[in-house]
Amino acid sequence: MYSRQPTSSIPSVLSRARIVAAAAMCTLLSNPAQAHMGTGLPGGFVSGFVHPFQGLDHLLAMISVGLWGAFLGRPLIYVLPVVFPAMMAAGAIMGMFSAPMPPVQLGIAISVLVLGGCIALALRAPVWMASLVVAMFALFHGYAHGKELPSAADPVSYSAGFVIATGLLHIAGIGVGFLNQHPMGVAAIRGIGVIIATLGCCFLWQAFGS
Amino acid sequence: MASALLFTALGLVLTFTPRRDWPTSAIALLAGIGAAGVLPYPRNWLEGAFLGCWISVSGTGAMVHLGRGLAPLALVAMSLNAGFWGTAASAASGSKLAVLQALPCVLIFLPAAWLAAKFGPLPIKVVSSWVIVIAVLAATLQMLPVTPGYLPDHLE
Repeated sequence: MYSRQPTSSIPSVLSRARIVAAAAMCTLLSNPAQAHMGTGLPGGFVSGFVHPFQGLDHLLAMISVGLWGAFLGRPLIYVLPVVFPAMMAAGAIMGMFSAPMPPVQLGIAISVLVLGGCIALALRAPVWMASLVVAMFALFHGYAHGKELPSAADPVSYSAGFVIATGLLHIAGIGVGFLNQHPMGVAAIRGIGVIIATLGCCFLWQAFGS
Repeated sequence: MASALLFTALGLVLTFTPRRDWPTSAIALLAGIGAAGVLPYPRNWLEGAFLGCWISVSGTGAMVHLGRGLAPLALVAMSLNAGFWGTAASAASGSKLAVLQALPCVLIFLPAAWLAAKFGPLPIKVVSSWVIVIAVLAATLQMLPVTPGYLPDHLE
């Protein structure tokens, strides 16, 4: 008659448990593979969307556009957020075709400095001048995006992501700009402008240094 | 993506049209989809279909920036066009039925109309400018064999 022998199965159960424990330990201690990290470029909507948030210079310039627009009131409150992406697209196209441009990092740094300065000084520029200033700087930001635009992974979704993120940053700037309806709001906005312009000086110094 | 953006642009246009024109637009849109659905699309027509779709997105988005809404006939033409190119882009990329997944994007006119009634037309116009920019970039990308940012690694 066949009968089970529990005493002989104990060592095999123990060894199986050891194997499982060792495998679990290896899984916990192992790092993800680092091969090819840093080669190629990320792509897709999320990658494009987070891109403007990753660079402080881009981020501040976008917020400044909305902030200045809100400060200047109608029609610039919506003209600037429309002009900026339109010219950013033109700049991106120039970047894609590698059209000659002045140093882009310098242009981006100056954009932060000038836009921050306009807010700090509460500069009430006429519509054409504000549009021209924003359009010129948008070219630089767009050029940088166009140069970086990856084709390896869904560039259309990537561009959709960064255009929407840019627009949302403008809206954030407009939202902050509504502070000027409060008694201390104008001073607060001008203070923000001073901070942005100061950071613009730092970016400019870095751009000259690089 | 292309069809979804086209229908979004049409939805933004509908925001500024009278409610009585919405059913006509819906019928025209479905007619456009139906007409484009029965056409055969050669595989080498892919780039043409997408380019047509991106141009339609830009054109439709630009209509949002008109001071007043579209005339009923122009709205019908715009809806037919959206249906046609939306289906063409879906068909060129593999499945005509994929257009049905993008179709709900046109419903953006419901929240957009509420937003326009509450805050005025400006937010819708700003969003429409984003749509136009994405279409212009996408159309340009199509013309580039390889974008400058592409850095192939040693495995490619």
